[in-house]
Amino acid sequence: MRFRGLFREMAIFPLLPVTLFAGVTVEGRVELPKSHSAPVQAKRYEIVTKGGVLSTQPPLAVVYLDGSFPQPASIPTKQVAQKDLTFVPALLPVRAGTRVEFPNLDDTYHNIFSYSPAKRFDLGRYRPEERPIPIQVFDKPGLVTLRCDIHEHMRGLILVLNTPYFVMTDTDGHFRLSGLPAGHYTLKAWIDSRTTREKPAELKNGQTLHVDFP
Amino acid sequence: MRSVVQARNEGLASFRTRLFTAIMVIVATLTALGFYLAQRKVTADAERNLQANFQAEISSLHKLEELRHAALAERCNVLAAKPRIHAAMEDNAIDLLYPSAKDELRDLMEGDEPPAEQSLHARFYRFLDSTGEVIKPPNPYDVGELDTETETQLALSRLPDTQQIGYIRENTKTGGETIDEVIAVPIFSTDTGDVISALVIGFKPLELEEKNAEVGMRSGVWANGQLHLPSLPKSAQASLNEKIASAVANSDREQDKFRVNVDGAPQLLFYKRLNPESVFPAAYEICVYPLAYSITQLHRLRWQIGGAGALLLLGGFVASHVVALRFSAPVKKLALDSEENRAQRKRAEAALASTTQELERSTRYSADASHQLKSPVTVLRVGLEILLTREGFKPEVYEELSALLHQTHRLTGVIDDLLLLSRMDAGHLQIASTSVNLSQLVDEWLDDLSALPDSPDVKIEKEFAAGLFVAGEKQYTSLVVQNLLENARKYNRPGGLIRVSARSNGKNVVLSIGNTGCTIPVGENIFERFHHRSTPSAASGHGIGLNLARELARLHGGDLCLVRSENDWTEFEVRFPAADGVNAVA
Repeated sequence: MRFRGLFREMAIFPLLPVTLFAGVTVEGRVELPKSHSAPVQAKRYEIVTKGGVLSTQPPLAVVYLDGSFPQPASIPTKQVAQKDLTFVPALLPVRAGTRVEFPNLDDTYHNIFSYSPAKRFDLGRYRPEERPIPIQVFDKPGLVTLRCDIHEHMRGLILVLNTPYFVMTDTDGHFRLSGLPAGHYTLKAWIDSRTTREKPAELKNGQTLHVDFP
Repeated sequence: MRSVVQARNEGLASFRTRLFTAIMVIVATLTALGFYLAQRKVTADAERNLQANFQAEISSLHKLEELRHAALAERCNVLAAKPRIHAAMEDNAIDLLYPSAKDELRDLMEGDEPPAEQSLHARFYRFLDSTGEVIKPPNPYDVGELDTETETQLALSRLPDTQQIGYIRENTKTGGETIDEVIAVPIFSTDTGDVISALVIGFKPLELEEKNAEVGMRSGVWANGQLHLPSLPKSAQASLNEKIASAVANSDREQDKFRVNVDGAPQLLFYKRLNPESVFPAAYEICVYPLAYSITQLHRLRWQIGGAGALLLLGGFVASHVVALRFSAPVKKLALDSEENRAQRKRAEAALASTTQELERSTRYSADASHQLKSPVTVLRVGLEILLTREGFKPEVYEELSALLHQTHRLTGVIDDLLLLSRMDAGHLQIASTSVNLSQLVDEWLDDLSALPDSPDVKIEKEFAAGLFVAGEKQYTSLVVQNLLENARKYNRPGGLIRVSARSNGKNVVLSIGNTGCTIPVGENIFERFHHRSTPSAASGHGIGLNLARELARLHGGDLCLVRSENDWTEFEVRFPAADGVNAVA
């Protein structure tokens, strides 16, 4: 239950500044690829590879505002846990510079590593009770594929973005991104490891922009 | 005679020659057959042995390969499932590919050179990318160093989905050349099941020659159109290379054998495809076996069989000699016998011819003489008879005339006898057989005998039944009886005895006539024609009486013989066939 809360917190957290500064809101819908797999029990996302393309299952997208924003003094630490031999969450969008913890919640060894150009690391084998919890800083934008050296089926994705303004769509593709600064930006929708759609967005204060990614 | 002996010897020699030739032909045929069969067997055996040897080598190779394959398949499956390998491939971290695989393949590459039997010790390994090209290792030292030329040979036109075996030539650091066996193992994506890469692992191929040095076997590999058989000199390799290339090109078979000459020595070359249906270029295991051993064996066998053949031939020669001698002994005897027979026959023929001639001559002479004599005697007798009928002569003259007349009668008798004899000799006399009363005949003659004027004073005894009938012609039967009785009277002594007896035994009637008087000396042939008794006697005869009597008796189917002549007693016995059913058995 605790992780459900964590997940919710993670989804809501970026919205906090928006409500505080009452900035621009963008909402719309991303046309997600059809899901061919069986319905996923519980609300857990898994990463699947098809033809070398990684995506979540069921499909989800991350919509973010691309641009250059000042680096904050501190960024809250995130977590990607290993639970029931899966990564939870399966897809984690973070701002560059974020520290991510990898707690092992299974009662077996895990060995999380990544060979992705955005972040190469290898946590080595560790047990659930080992402290400190292994942690990695993701400071280079890009997609990081998480794997476990012991459990070859495990896949996780961390999408490292250079923006604090991002949100995950729901399974229908709807999103709402609020508290955005005004200005001329590009709105991007990450759909899978090969597909990122983008649209220019002219953000004006107090305005709610409707953007759909077909 | 000499030429006959010579001919006989020649015949024997030719018999022996023929026999020996026959034996020789048989032995030669057997030897040749033995040669042929032995040669075939030795060659076939040698080839079979070498083939078996080769197959054993090949199968040991294949066993090793299977071992490697099984081990590698397992290892590669594990490897392919490794998240790090996938990560390296999928996350474009090729630089991390070899380091990631290093741990997994560490035991393949590291450690001391293990013994050949467990040759899972790899020389090198490389990964192929999705196009089949070799992924260059960042640190070749870890994965087995290869020069570029060798490394290029590892590339494949496409990624295989099964294990592939290949053989590549590697240039060694010392400037030489070696052959590596490579096994390409596909790596499947755990996500998609597609082949995402291949691991190519290189091994040192098994060195076969160490084990089989004693039979002089040399083995190598023919790969990429090049023969690698380091134990052969370069020139020999080059010439073999062409032959193998043409043999492989002209045959669909994956294995075969043919004969070659290496440095002038005959060898049997076997080849077998090492990597059937591989995407790597075709490679063949090559084994060259010197045939010197089998040729030596063949040579020895040839000598043995030749020696045996020679011995057989010698034995045959001796046997033929012995057989010829044994066969020739009776043949020789036969020849000799036949010669003697021939000579005897010739002599007999000559004798017969001369006898016949003599006989003919004598017959002719007798006949001629008889005829020539008969006429004058008749004239003489008639003249004397006429003179006797005349009167006026002195009584002494009549006596004389009468005596002369008697002599003419005797003469006529002699001539008649001679005529009869000559007719018999010529075979012209035939008996007209009737039943003749011998008893009566004898009685009549005895009467005549006693009536003769000059009869000596002899006593006559008769011991025969009346009515003994014989089969014969009376005239001649009578002549026989007369002759014998006259002799008995003639050669008797005064006051002597004549005993005449006759008996019948059913088939024959035997008439015995015995007389006293001087006997006939032993050994004297009284039945000879014109025979005269050697003992001086007053009696005279013309010497044909007994002969005639016997001839006539024989002509009748009987015989005449002298039974006894001793102690003042001479006895003849004449046998006549009895007339059918007339005589009672005495």
